[in-house]
Amino acid sequence: MAAQFLFSQFLSGLTTAIFLFLVASGLSLVFGVLRVLNFAHGTFYMLGAYIAWQAVTWLAPAKEAFWPAALLAALAIAALGLVVERFLFRYLYDKEELYQLLFTYALVLILGDAAKMLWGTAQLSVARPPVLDGAITVFGTLLPTYNLFVMILGSVIAVGFWVILQRTSAGRMIRAAAMDREMLGALGTNVGWLYTGVFVVSSFLAGLSGALVSPIKAIVPGMDVEIIVEAFIVVVIGGLGSFWGTFLGALIYGQVLSFGILIFPRFSIFSVFALMAVILIVRPWGLLGRPLK
Amino acid sequence: MSKRIPWTLIIFLAALTIPWLGSRYYTFLSTQIVILSLFAVSYNLLLGSTGLVSFGHAAYFGLGSYACGLLMKELSIPFPIALLAGGLMGAAFAAVAGYFCVRLTKIYFSMLTLAFAQIMWAICFQWNEVTGGDQGVSGIPYPELGWMSSIPGLDGFRIGDYFYIMTLAICIVCIWILQRITNSPFGRLLTTIRENPERASFIGVNVHAYELAAFVIAGGFAGISGALFGIFNRGVFADFMFWPKSAEVLIMTILGGMNHFWGPVVGTIMMVVLNQQITSYTEYWPMVLGIILLVLLFVFPGGLVGAVDAGLKRVTGRAGGRGDA
Amino acid sequence: MRRRTFMAMAAAGAALPLGRAKAANEVRIGFPMALSGPGALYGTPITRGAEMCVAEINAAGGLNGRKLLLIPRDSKGNADESVRVSRELILKDNVDFLVGTFTSAETPAVSTIAKENKTLLIAPTAKTIQLTSPQNLHPYIYRVASTTDIEGRTAATIMAKWDVKRVATIAPDYAYGRDIMEAFTVLLKKLKPGVEIVDQQWPKLGQADFAPFITAQMSKQPDAIFGACFAGDFASLVKQGKPLGYFEAIKNQYVGAGETGSIEMTRSLGTDYPVGIVANAYDPVIWPDAPEVHKKYHAALRAYLKDEYGSSWAIQGYEGILALAAGIKRANSFDTEKVCKAMLGLTFETPIGPQTIREKDHSANRGQFWGKIVRTSAYPFPVMESVSYTDPTPFMD
Repeated sequence: MAAQFLFSQFLSGLTTAIFLFLVASGLSLVFGVLRVLNFAHGTFYMLGAYIAWQAVTWLAPAKEAFWPAALLAALAIAALGLVVERFLFRYLYDKEELYQLLFTYALVLILGDAAKMLWGTAQLSVARPPVLDGAITVFGTLLPTYNLFVMILGSVIAVGFWVILQRTSAGRMIRAAAMDREMLGALGTNVGWLYTGVFVVSSFLAGLSGALVSPIKAIVPGMDVEIIVEAFIVVVIGGLGSFWGTFLGALIYGQVLSFGILIFPRFSIFSVFALMAVILIVRPWGLLGRPLK
Repeated sequence: MSKRIPWTLIIFLAALTIPWLGSRYYTFLSTQIVILSLFAVSYNLLLGSTGLVSFGHAAYFGLGSYACGLLMKELSIPFPIALLAGGLMGAAFAAVAGYFCVRLTKIYFSMLTLAFAQIMWAICFQWNEVTGGDQGVSGIPYPELGWMSSIPGLDGFRIGDYFYIMTLAICIVCIWILQRITNSPFGRLLTTIRENPERASFIGVNVHAYELAAFVIAGGFAGISGALFGIFNRGVFADFMFWPKSAEVLIMTILGGMNHFWGPVVGTIMMVVLNQQITSYTEYWPMVLGIILLVLLFVFPGGLVGAVDAGLKRVTGRAGGRGDA
Repeated sequence: MRRRTFMAMAAAGAALPLGRAKAANEVRIGFPMALSGPGALYGTPITRGAEMCVAEINAAGGLNGRKLLLIPRDSKGNADESVRVSRELILKDNVDFLVGTFTSAETPAVSTIAKENKTLLIAPTAKTIQLTSPQNLHPYIYRVASTTDIEGRTAATIMAKWDVKRVATIAPDYAYGRDIMEAFTVLLKKLKPGVEIVDQQWPKLGQADFAPFITAQMSKQPDAIFGACFAGDFASLVKQGKPLGYFEAIKNQYVGAGETGSIEMTRSLGTDYPVGIVANAYDPVIWPDAPEVHKKYHAALRAYLKDEYGSSWAIQGYEGILALAAGIKRANSFDTEKVCKAMLGLTFETPIGPQTIREKDHSANRGQFWGKIVRTSAYPFPVMESVSYTDPTPFMD
């Protein structure tokens, strides 16, 4: 009995972890290359959820509307990221870091309210795609099929990204930019377009994760503020800019939260922040990160 | 050198006239402006003077308000002691957090200040027995202010007015102290650290110690402003410490201009007044604030004071220089 | 400081807003309510109910010849925000009375503001018993909502009739959740001494991720669960709990307080709703044996909301205004002190029958409708079967 229960808490933590990884991966990517902590990443995630809901509503009677809706959401947010970076953000690259941070916060304020204007304040939700509606039993505990799907998808994305980063020339350039962007520019790479590309990919991931989370969590204004802090914790624990670090950080976060509710329910929220603080004190660049230049 | 005009005194006297306008609303607004101005000025000791971008300053504000509010409500401790306790609470926690934070730089520093602030928020948010959790501590009593009616010229006011006058006096004194600190050799060393920390340590300055001192002083005054705010608000809530509140004080400071001592005060006045005006017409105040922030970042990075300065420069052709009083 | 800084300061303060001037004839009623956040699902219909009542009174000529003006504001379901907007309503908008706020976290905080400014506050939905406890009671606070004592104890009597030994609870971690579980567990243990409370979960209000709480609770293998998660939280609990077998494991022996049986909830969840649970509502809406006054009220409500079914929650906003209007009539005055006196012991008519505000604790004897939620072919959403109003008198101290 006890083992089965521990396993179900573990699965619960794993689900949280993979969802969080999907969100945090884009944040980590942008930080690694652009050296900016994008507060608006959570807002992109929220907008992805809203757009997915809107698309599903438009395509209403269609049963499997969820898939095109999720893709549409991800592409829409990618486009938003493109516009934001090309027309606004790039002009702040030579300014102080603080201004870049404030810019992303301004986006949080503006886009957050835009979502409120367009979709109101009511809680929205999306139905699970029928093909994934159900649960399988794993070691005596129920695991919703949809969660399993997201876990698999998350892992595929993780592996896929790793392959791209390690094996392709684009990936090599991204890794090089993360290490030394001036040298990269000196070698003739168009760093400007590289930055745009990274920002767009990050936005795509944010939008996609928002869409994927919509059948599980309620879509409400304010979900951006909540998720961004969680994503920060994950990225800090794992290592700002490290890809596998983000994955590891998400896993740790999910389990600490899940078992925290069990062991010290009074202070379950506190435990993840404490973990973040400990990492920053002992090893500021995270478990798998590298010290900033 | 121009004659020293006692601007601080003038501001104080001007602000003092508010209760005589007889509007509960103006007194209410002014109390809010005065308290938040102290908060912002304390923050600027870190941001403008020392170059430390803290994302967690609201935590010390919140801790000060909990300390003072709980002492006054649950233990009936008199206001002066409770207020001091609020300041000490802010300073003490700032010392602990600051000790670790100043060892980091740039983004890591900011993230650790955020982490500590969220830890304190999480504790206050979940520790229902002491902090009331989600519903906070309501019913915070006003301090014993009956004695103020015996001051000549001050009889016949409402309690809100008496509290405003007392708050104004306390905050002006605190701001004046911060001003002296900023203009002192200690303050100038902070500026040196901001410009170039490596050079500062080469000439023998213990950079960490100075930064920690600034952190603690800023935390202490944030605690005092928080204590006053808790009473003003008649209630203390965990929200006071949540990270968007830290973002708010950052914006207020930058809006006015972080390169001038009185910049944060200007920014606070602007924020509070604008907020009141805009929220009368629309619920989308965050969007308006976001747009103002964008304009600030792209057009007026020096804040309102910086903009006025630049405008004057263009008109008179005279160079500005760093603001002080 | 240089002149320029002073100029900047003056420029910033120049836009000083003026308070709203009072139109001589209007009675201004401030209405801070949760119009965003997880409580908005209920807060919005509550506001519409209040608006409808004001419209009806004005159509009949107003009160003593004066028209009512309702001024709603969004409190976001957040205590700090509700204090802010209530203060602005009093100081800037110069309201004469306050009706609102939504949660048991907001209302005690606003009660302090009402007391400070000597403004009458009527609470239409806040249930925490602490709002009107002897140390918090004052002449300006009145309640037309039910209380955690009434709700928790009623739930205990319901569960006492079931053949269960292991009981678990789940409730939001703040005054409402804590107080209702206190009332519930104390009475349940008295009625059924053999029962054991095997688990208590306390997710925070507005919790997005219920899964860890759900799995933790299921591991303790309860026979029945009493839950007080409401509005958006209940929706999340259901959406995340059903796939994990939360309701199946206890064979739907779930008692849901917090108006989980309101048609807002049953419609919002649709096919996801865990039919078979026992839930409550301030107003079941679908009530075959309803009295005439209830039928009339709902006909008007359906027309006003332009909705074919109406709302379970509008009634509390409606009752809040009814109580205020009745108090003003009884006092034959708009003066706050006189109206406050008139509120004590006031009996006023509502669509579910007469309610009386007790002198003892300024609270109305507001019970709820409890029943099992079932699917029916008559409606596209689950409804309460065998609707009956539970008299709250035995549960009030």
